[in-house]
Amino acid sequence: MLEMQNVTKAYRTDLLETHALREFSLKVEKGEFVAVTGPSGSGKTTFLNVAGLLETFDSGSYRLDGEDVSRLGDDARSQVRNRRIGFIFQSFNLIPDLDVFDNVDVPLRYRRLPAAERRERIDAALELVGLASRRKHLPSQLSGGQQQRVAIARALAGDPALLLADEPTGNLDSLMARQVLDLLEQINEMGTTIVMVTHDPELARRAHRNVQVIDGQVTDYKPYEPSSATVTPLHPAVAGGASRA
Amino acid sequence: MDIKPILSSLRRSPTGALLVALQIALALAIAVNSLFIIVQRLELLNRDHGVDVENTFVVSWVPVAGRFAGEPAMREDLQVLAGLPGVVAATTVNAVPLSGGGSSTSLYTQPGEKGQRGDINYFAVTERGIEAFGLELVEGRNFDATTVRKLPRNGSEFVPEVILTRAAAKELFKDEPAVGRTVYDSLGQPATVVGIVAGMIGSWPSWDQAGNVALFPVIADEQQARYFVRALPGRRDAAMKAAEDALGRIDNGRVILRVRPLDYIAASTYADDQAMTVYLAVVIALLLGVAALGIFGLASFNVGARTKQIGTRRAVGARRLDIVRHFLVENWLVTTAGVVVGCVLALLLGLWLSETFELPRLKLYYLVAGALVLWGVSLAAALVPARRAARVSPAVATRTV
Ligand SMILES: Nc1ncnc2c1ncn2[C@@H]1O[C@H](COP(=O)(O)OP(=O)(O)OP(=O)(O)O)[C@@H](O)[C@H]1O
Ligand SMILES: [Mg+2]
Repeated sequence: MLEMQNVTKAYRTDLLETHALREFSLKVEKGEFVAVTGPSGSGKTTFLNVAGLLETFDSGSYRLDGEDVSRLGDDARSQVRNRRIGFIFQSFNLIPDLDVFDNVDVPLRYRRLPAAERRERIDAALELVGLASRRKHLPSQLSGGQQQRVAIARALAGDPALLLADEPTGNLDSLMARQVLDLLEQINEMGTTIVMVTHDPELARRAHRNVQVIDGQVTDYKPYEPSSATVTPLHPAVAGGASRA
Repeated sequence: MDIKPILSSLRRSPTGALLVALQIALALAIAVNSLFIIVQRLELLNRDHGVDVENTFVVSWVPVAGRFAGEPAMREDLQVLAGLPGVVAATTVNAVPLSGGGSSTSLYTQPGEKGQRGDINYFAVTERGIEAFGLELVEGRNFDATTVRKLPRNGSEFVPEVILTRAAAKELFKDEPAVGRTVYDSLGQPATVVGIVAGMIGSWPSWDQAGNVALFPVIADEQQARYFVRALPGRRDAAMKAAEDALGRIDNGRVILRVRPLDYIAASTYADDQAMTVYLAVVIALLLGVAALGIFGLASFNVGARTKQIGTRRAVGARRLDIVRHFLVENWLVTTAGVVVGCVLALLLGLWLSETFELPRLKLYYLVAGALVLWGVSLAAALVPARRAARVSPAVATRTV
């Protein structure tokens, strides 16, 4: 599903150069649920942005669903994001002036789907996240957990192959966080590949596999073993940081 | 199209959009009516004046009391002027066309102030008057030279013959032929219409009946007489110089005051109209500029305030073009709301202007033109912020809290 080989990415400003990813290699199989952990500033978000084609990288190779996506133009990248990737953000990123229905509709409109099909997809996605009765609500009229579920519906309505989540529970209390994770697990069981960045070791443990990023590199890399959901032990340095979060 | 969600988000935070729409509406209403007034003024300035404005000039003078011989002296001067190289014809006049000063009288189609009445601006000219003005005789004949004479001062005598412009003839006789008919002054004295000239704007160019002009075969009284001279095309300035020199060499009891071209005199009569035109053009430019600034400001503010939203839209699949389009459509909706209200305001303002100042009604195609211009201006003003929005990185979605 996702295959990165020796990806490097540096941020350059006039004053300094930050190597956010160095020789970053990771393979995620179809149907996996991977949790990415690591200390703050280690490059998790950078990895997710590169994986989701939100940002370009400097060198290395990246294949998404078997296709080399490292040289796509801007419009083609938009199209890949639109059709094959779903995003879930820490701060939900709903559009405040649009109601729940219209928020879920945003990516579908960019896909130019006919109205009837959009409506069907939106209804199904809202049904799945349990918010079918809130379609006319504005984001400000919903709780944080509900907002994140709307965002999940938005990510799912396009039927993506890969769901990318950056700290999806970071702004939620533990009860709501668990509900969101239940939902993600359910979605994963329905066949969607999920890569989730999290600070919370308890949530990370519920993934099939944990990947640690330290200093722009994957450590303790262990390929996927479909037979049993394994949990890699946390790096001592990370364990401290994670419990603080 | 994406109009529905854009409309509903506009409805939820309408303040800025409403203010800009209102600004566009006012700009449209005022600009369209100003333009209409400008065009009317320009039409006034550029219409056919009948008189050969470019090639004629006026000699003004005063008689010296006790030394001026009257008609013979004027005849002598006219002869000198007519003999100058490049001069076509010269006449005495009681008033100068397009100068803002002149005489008018009421003529009737029946004696005793009966029948059709016309308020007519008249010029006292010699048998060379038509030629000196540069008018086109379209019917009948010129004055019989023997009828041209000086009338006693303070008398009430009328003339035997008149020449009318088509407009004056129509005023008096509607569509019936006028040549050979009789007109009467207010004392019931008759004069025969001997000729019709095509058209001529008289003394007061902004009078709505400025074309109702009559020529009378009269040597103007020396207290108000001026010489009106027409030169061949391109030779007016030389003829003016020659006239000044030649008249200066003759001492027949009058003092030459000024020799001025008619276009100069007309320009100072039209100065207010011209100033009004410039003033209104500046007002239009300012209104459009301020409207453009308002649109630019609103779009820039929206782009700045919605950076995260733009990043999110990009992240979930919007192309750069989709973002540009989003802002242009939003701006178009605001502009169109302003244009619609502006059209109504423009019509109301136009109605009020036409009723208050007795102007013609605003033509509807001015509204169409104004709406198109505002749409264009608004598109141009929103383009820069919209393109700035399109450059927002999709990574903003994950990087902004
Ligand atoms: N736009 C940028 N310009 C310059 N440096 C950046 C930029 N974005 C990220 N960085 C740097 O790149 C490194 C990796 O950042 P990244 O956001 O990927 O870390 P992270 O693992 O997501 O951290 P956190 O857990 O705090 O979210 C950091 O040192 C960060 O300062
Ligand atoms: Mg991060």
